Amino acid sequence: MFFGGDIVVKSGIRLKAKAAFALLVVLMLVLTACGGGGGGGSSSSSSSSGGSSDTGGGGAAGASSSEPVGTVKIGVLMPYTGTFAPLTDSLVKGFDLYIEEQGGLLGGRKADVQYLDDEANPQTALRQYRQLVQGSKVDILVGTISSSVEYALRDEVEKDKILLVNPNASASDLSWERKSDYVYRVSYSGWQQGASPARYLAENVGKTAVTLASNYPAGYEIIEAFKTAYEQAGGRVVEQLWPELNTNDFSPQLTQIANIKPDIVFSFLAGSDQFRFTQQYSEFGLKKSIPLTGNNNYADYMFTSTVGEAADGIIAATQYIPWLENDVNRKFVENYRNKYGKLPDMFSEQGYVAAMAIDKAIEKANSTKTEDLIQVMKGLTLDAPRGTIVIDPETHNPIMDFYVTENIWQNGEIITRVIDKIPQYAMPAERPSN
Amino acid sequence: MSSFLFLLLTGLAYGMVYFMIAAGLTIILGVMHVFNLAHGSFYLIAAYVAFTLVGKQVNFWLALLAAVLFSIVLGILMEKFLIKRFYGRTLEQVLLTFGLIYIVSDTAKLIWGPTLKNLAVPAILNFSIPLGNISFPAYRLFIVAVGVILAVLLWFFETRTRAGAIIRAGVDDREMVSALGINVGRVFTYVFAFGAGLAALSGVLGAPLTGIYTGLDTEVLVTSLIVLVIGGLGSWKGSLLSALIIGVIQSVGGAWFPSFSMLIIFALMMVILIIRPHGLFGKEVL
Repeated sequence: MFFGGDIVVKSGIRLKAKAAFALLVVLMLVLTACGGGGGGGSSSSSSSSGGSSDTGGGGAAGASSSEPVGTVKIGVLMPYTGTFAPLTDSLVKGFDLYIEEQGGLLGGRKADVQYLDDEANPQTALRQYRQLVQGSKVDILVGTISSSVEYALRDEVEKDKILLVNPNASASDLSWERKSDYVYRVSYSGWQQGASPARYLAENVGKTAVTLASNYPAGYEIIEAFKTAYEQAGGRVVEQLWPELNTNDFSPQLTQIANIKPDIVFSFLAGSDQFRFTQQYSEFGLKKSIPLTGNNNYADYMFTSTVGEAADGIIAATQYIPWLENDVNRKFVENYRNKYGKLPDMFSEQGYVAAMAIDKAIEKANSTKTEDLIQVMKGLTLDAPRGTIVIDPETHNPIMDFYVTENIWQNGEIITRVIDKIPQYAMPAERPSN
Repeated sequence: MSSFLFLLLTGLAYGMVYFMIAAGLTIILGVMHVFNLAHGSFYLIAAYVAFTLVGKQVNFWLALLAAVLFSIVLGILMEKFLIKRFYGRTLEQVLLTFGLIYIVSDTAKLIWGPTLKNLAVPAILNFSIPLGNISFPAYRLFIVAVGVILAVLLWFFETRTRAGAIIRAGVDDREMVSALGINVGRVFTYVFAFGAGLAALSGVLGAPLTGIYTGLDTEVLVTSLIVLVIGGLGSWKGSLLSALIIGVIQSVGGAWFPSFSMLIIFALMMVILIIRPHGLFGKEVL
């Protein structure tokens, strides 16, 4: 209390203190409203270098030797700041690597790439979108991470008739009710993330599950897909837990799980929540008795390399791990490691595939005009590091192999190994009715 | 029953982390009347420094010490070159330290990158104590112990030492203390450095629980502000009580009313602001 001060002060200061107090409360609410995530809205980290061809000597192979036929202008709109910044970082690294491997060319044309920050905020995204489309007059757009931003961009490209290559935003509705002729996803849908591991888990790991997912749309979507597929395969979801975003303390959920004693826990959590939950699941001793399973984030190198031993034993399903055995992936991993000094994660691969999709689409259409590109995007086949993928003409979402994986802690690091394969896994063409 | 004990212990551990975070801020506010919004930045930087050192095979405890010292030096520099110019000018302090948040956050991102970093629990504390069908990590008990020791030290320092007496006197009547030949300006520098050191301590000890990432600084700041508002501005005892209440409510309340765990905290804040507008331990003014 003394530090609080039984202080006699003049009334002027008293007033000031009250004003300051009010200011603090307002500030706190503002910061909370920002989701607590990110440094708020720092300005865009834009640069307009293409895949700089003068650094291409460093092991990047396959540069086409022919002369460029004009230029293709590409706008990359991604959240460089805030919660999603790490994903953007990896994704753009993969994107840039592909262009560099091609000697700075996409579809035989010189790639002129501009990068803008959408701050994972639809309003900011639309402002930046106008700068790219009306200001810089880009031919093709690439973006973004957040599905709510993707919805906003989708409506704009629909009006302006610009091809939008979606490298991550996973909302299934982008392939169903809100599918657009101008938007094509090269990553995966929430439906694929939730449903892909379900059958293996029900048949081989356990018949009762508690689900635990962040309390927001991506969480509901992934859990709904998991629950449907898991129960079709003979399992039963006995409880669903929805911790808030940015939860520090998962002890309420952990005690519930310990009391229910399900066969498995299936989880999807956003960002740092996933890290904290996994650590606590291991520290509080649940990992030994109830296997932890989850969506592809739980098999991803970005996650496993950070969380370390606590990720040991987690079973998940994913489309990509850096240890996949195929020639395209071996070359990708080698070049990525040479350029950035670490293994690629699944977001790096998505960025790489986004650039590859643009490259192949221009090549196939022999044009950078939107009308020509959207014709070839449907059914476009790519030899990606994750394996062969086909952009499904029905859903504008990849059909590709998924892998059931297990994380193994050995020699001080997590290796993710494939334990089962789900070949040519497509999402349904319409929202499954239930 | 064991699950209640478990929730209570977890809640206390988080409460103690919140207390350590808020203590530095509240002491600086109480003694110097300075709103240091960059408090979370000290927390973040210290966690990153410790992470880097541990990555270079430095012992966890040495890394903790180094991070705290680093933060203290940073605190001294900040007080001498920036804060000193703005004593008694609350709005300017808020703007200054708010701007620092962004500078520090972007600098940290430049150095350490945007991906989440993990500071491992020190090996000696890396085990769990069985408690029914769930077990309790020793590191969290350690956190509770550190929090208790910190509270006792603060109490002892404030009421039983000469430096504590000078600080109390400086709070009451700065001119009189100066007239007695005590350099109040220097005392303020020390207090600011002490607050920065506390932020660093909580940053390094808290990092294994939260992870280290851009945006952690503002999350920490928001938590501290909630603790401050509930506990009463500038009272570290109020901060201790409110931090523990928040920690326990989050754990126990989260289990009883799973959908409302965030709501409970803010509802508590509203109720307290209505009943005691200056917080649990707050007086009429700062």
